Order: sequence, then C-alpha cells, then structure tokens
Amino acid sequence: MTELTRRRFGILTGASFAAASTPLFAPHVLGQGKPKLVVIGGGAGGGTLARYVAKDSNGAVDVTLIEPQKNFTTCFFSNLYVGGLRSFKSITHDYDKVKKSGVKVIHAAAMAIDRDKKQVVLAGGQRITYDRLAVAPGIDLKFDSVHGYSEAAAELMPHAWKPGKQTELLVKKLNALKDGDTIVMIAPPNPYRCPPGPYERASMFAHVLKTKGHKKSRIIILDVKPNFSKQALFMEGWEKHYPGMIEWQDPNMHGGIKSVNPKTGEIVTDLGSYKAALANVIPAQMAGKIARDAGLADASGFCPIDPDNMKSKMDPNVFVVGDASIAGDMPKSAFSANSQAKVAAMIVRSELTSSRAFPARYNNTCWSLIAPDDDVKVGGAYEPGEGKIKASSTFVSQKAESSELRKQNYQESVDWYNGIVADIFG
Amino acid sequence: MPGRTAGAGVVAPSLLAIGLIGMAVMTAGAAADIELGRYLASECMACHRAQTSASAIPNLTTIPREHFVTVIKAYRRKELPNPAMQNVAGRLSDEEIESLALYFSTTKQP
Ligand SMILES: Cc1cc2nc3c(=O)[nH]c(=O)nc-3n(C[C@H](O)[C@H](O)[C@H](O)COP(=O)(O)OP(=O)(O)OC[C@H]3O[C@@H](n4cnc5c(N)ncnc54)[C@H](O)[C@@H]3O)c2cc1C
Repeated sequence: MTELTRRRFGILTGASFAAASTPLFAPHVLGQGKPKLVVIGGGAGGGTLARYVAKDSNGAVDVTLIEPQKNFTTCFFSNLYVGGLRSFKSITHDYDKVKKSGVKVIHAAAMAIDRDKKQVVLAGGQRITYDRLAVAPGIDLKFDSVHGYSEAAAELMPHAWKPGKQTELLVKKLNALKDGDTIVMIAPPNPYRCPPGPYERASMFAHVLKTKGHKKSRIIILDVKPNFSKQALFMEGWEKHYPGMIEWQDPNMHGGIKSVNPKTGEIVTDLGSYKAALANVIPAQMAGKIARDAGLADASGFCPIDPDNMKSKMDPNVFVVGDASIAGDMPKSAFSANSQAKVAAMIVRSELTSSRAFPARYNNTCWSLIAPDDDVKVGGAYEPGEGKIKASSTFVSQKAESSELRKQNYQESVDWYNGIVADIFG
Repeated sequence: MPGRTAGAGVVAPSLLAIGLIGMAVMTAGAAADIELGRYLASECMACHRAQTSASAIPNLTTIPREHFVTVIKAYRRKELPNPAMQNVAGRLSDEEIESLALYFSTTKQP
C-alpha cells in the first residue's frame, strides 16, 4: 500500500476517525448548500455512480446526471436480441426510477467541461457547477481505422457496437439474408468494449442461420488480433453447434485488412476478397469525445485513472469510470463499469460527506452465449497493485463441460442482467 | 491482503464516531462492521438483485445471517462449486464475511 493510500485508509490501520475522514480533501463545509456531484453519461458506469451516491448519502449530496437519451438500450444482451432470443424492448430502459431515487436527470448532451471553473457546459449553453465530476461517456469509434469505413458507411455496414438504431439495422440485414449469402465481420483491435462480444455475436449470427436452415451460408471473421477472449471455448462450441459455418482468420491467414466498400459490400484483404451480404465492421475504439476534449485522455485515446479510487490522473476533482477509463487488467464491460462506479461512489461520498472510505475492490464476470443454453463465463477479482487495477484471481469456463452446467451459466447470466439493470436504472 | 481488513480494535472508535455502535456485533471473534458491509455488499448487488422463481442467483436479503456466513466460507474453501462465487469469497476475511452478513440481515432494500 502506498503512503497516500495508507493515509486515505488510515481508519483501517488504526488512525483516528477524524484523521481518516479528511485524508486529502476537506469535506464540504456545512452551510454552503449541499455538495454537488455531476455525472456525465447514464450508462452502466454513470447510472450506477449517480444512483449509489444518491442512495447511500441519503440526499446529503446533490446528484445530477447528464444523459441525452431518454431510453437506454444496453449493449449487453444485445447479441441475444441479434440471435432472436430477446426483444429490443427487453433490453431498453428508461430513467424514471433513477429520478425517483433522488437523482436529477437532465436529458441533454454535455458539450464541454470547464475544469478550471468546475462547470459542465450543456448543449444549450447552460452551465452546471460541480464539486466532484464523474465522466462515463463510454466509447467512440475510430471509423478511419478501417480503410473505406466511415460514420456514413455504418448505415450500410453496421458496427452495432453502440446500441440502439445500429443494432436494429444489423438485425434487419441479418433477417434479410438468403441461403448461400456470406456474412463478414471485422473484429476490432485491443482495447475495445466487451472482449468476447464479437465472437458471441458471430455465434448468434450462426444460430439464426441454423434456425432458418441456411446450410450454404458462411460467416467469416477477419480479426486484427492473433487470438481472442475465450477462444478455445468458442472454437469448440462453433464446431459442435455450427460445424463448418464460422471461419475465423487471424492476421497470418488474411494478411491484413486492406479496405471495405460499403456500396458493393466488398471487403479486401491482402490474401483475398469477399462479397458480404452482411458486413459487420467493428472498428478500433477510444474514450467518448467529451472525455478526450476535456483533456482527460492520454495518447492511447483512453483516460488514465488512479486505481485506488477511479480518479482521473489529470484532475483530482474528476472521476472516470467505465469503458472510457484505462482500468488495467479489467476488461471493458458493463460489469466492470458498474464495479468501478461503486468504488468511485464510495470515495465521492467520503470526500463530500465524511463517510468512511475503504480500500478499492473490483470484480467482473462476463457470460457469453454460444448457442441457446450453452453459455460460458470468464471473470476476475481485481485490486489496486503495481500502479494499475490488477487481477488478483481469475477463472474461465472449461472445455467439454456438462450441458447442465452451461445451462446454469445461461440462467445466471439472465439473473445478472436483471440484477445489473436494476442496479443501474433502479 | 493483511492490513486491508478491519480488526476489532480499530472499528469501535469509528463506529462510535458515526453513531453506529449499536450495530456492531461480535461473533466468533470477528467484528461485524455495517459500513464496511454496505460497501462490500455493493459488489454482490450486480448479480444478487432480481430473484425470480427460475433464478440461479439467490436474493441475499432473505438469507439468515448464520447461513450466509456458512455458505460464503464454504465458497472460500472451494467446497461449493461456482468459480465466480469462489472468486468473490476467496478474498473475504472473517470480519468482512460477518460485516456482509450483518448488512444483509439488517437491510431490506440494499
Ligand atoms: C455487443 C456487445 C455485447 C456486450 N455484452 C456485454 C456483456 O454481456 N456483459 C458486460 O458486462 N458488458 C457487455 N458489453 C459491454 C458494455 O456494454 C459496456 O462495457 C458498458 O456499457 C460500458 O459502460 P459505460 O458506462 O462506460 O458506457 P455506456 O454504457 O455506453 O454509457 C455511456 C453513456 O454516456 C452517454 N454520453 C456520451 N457522451 C455524452 C455527453 N457528451 N454528454 C452526456 N452523455 C453522454 C451516452 O449517451 C451513453 O448513454 C457488451 C458490449 C457490446 C457492444
């Protein structure tokens, strides 16, 4: 433990309560009105953070959540919608209960952060002052990481890596396919949102084709990575459920992705060319624009944080949680964002209301559905260590597990989904 | 990780200071600290929130305190099978398990 954290968590090592409760920042002086937390982004990270601070401070902190969307469709479980196993409605949530839990929700986009004045500037020019700010805008896509791809091209070759209309477009195109058509997916480079996500999606594509009896169709995954999350499990599952249907190519096999042509559906690699009836292009990623514009990101495009508390390394009054952050060994997932938000919420409360702070602990489990009732999982426990969020223990499903265990995993994932959306949206 | 867990000696003054002394309970030598329990419980709530009749994941607020402690310790010893739970329980000290049990047994709506 560093000297700083030992002081911060002095209460746990025997220091007096008074010393421990004022580790770095004096708590808000009473009589000046309630201390203010502003949260940008009402997804897995921001929604959780806003609700936990409001709930656990019993109204002692004035919490404002800035989120342009009135309805939030989750990326998590969107692959099950792709596979025809969930409705779009079942993965779409509103902010009514968030409001009821004491959070002021402003449906607008944050246009800028004035860190000197500690203010967030909204689309309409309105300024909102904060004592602490949490930034959780998720990701932006680097459209130009794939030659020929662009935001406009995404209307023809959907990425569906930000949820909502893109996911609906993908499903529309999937459902219009004829037997013998080819699906090509371009999988993104690390780091990106949901490491097993592209491969779960390919599984769901295959499930839909199999259900429709499309025996001649193929799914080609062109990957820029030499390996991927839960690879052995996916490969085994594809062979079992969809033999010969999914072909995964690493860079040695395709020689490099040269270009895509959204109008013709052509995708050219160094060693071949494909005509895709459905092209799912998932480009490289970076932190949401608002975080980058505010100077919270480094050269990687993501935001460095202090692993003890999720504070931005650029500004001690600002927290960054979720996909926009550089969270060490933790994958970019809704589970991770939710876990990081709880650490940040605990620290925000301790700084603004003198509640106690505890050592940060993080957790993640990601379930992936290979076929109905065949679900695998990977997970880890994480703690600050070596200057980052470090995995202290991890696990992953094994090959050749019983179908009962895989079915139980699926049921767990459904429970997790119901649990986490209640945790985020109330 | 030693030094990261709340021992009985250091919890009492803090509980006094925030007026929660009545909530501190000692069982089998491990101190239960409800504030610590509340923080640790937030990790559980990502999954253990919305129980239905078909659920594989139980709602913790309905589990009796002693039963909670017994089950978590069994996961910690890897005597119960789920790797996700073994992972969660593996890093909990006795004090932390008692704190979680106290929190869940006294909180209806976490
Ligand atoms: C196909 C797919 C499957 C996935 N499956 C899983 C899974 O099974 N399990 C899992 O744990 N994770 C999964 N994920 C990952 C998960 O969706 C993300 O990691 C998670 O949503 C990240 O949370 P976040 O809060 O960082 O960002 P988001 O949830 O994306 O939320 C960001 C919010 O910020 C808002 N915002 C952006 N800019 C501004 C601004 N300027 N002003 C105001 N608001 C702004 C956006 O509107 C958005 O609502 C999946 C992702 C994909 C793509």
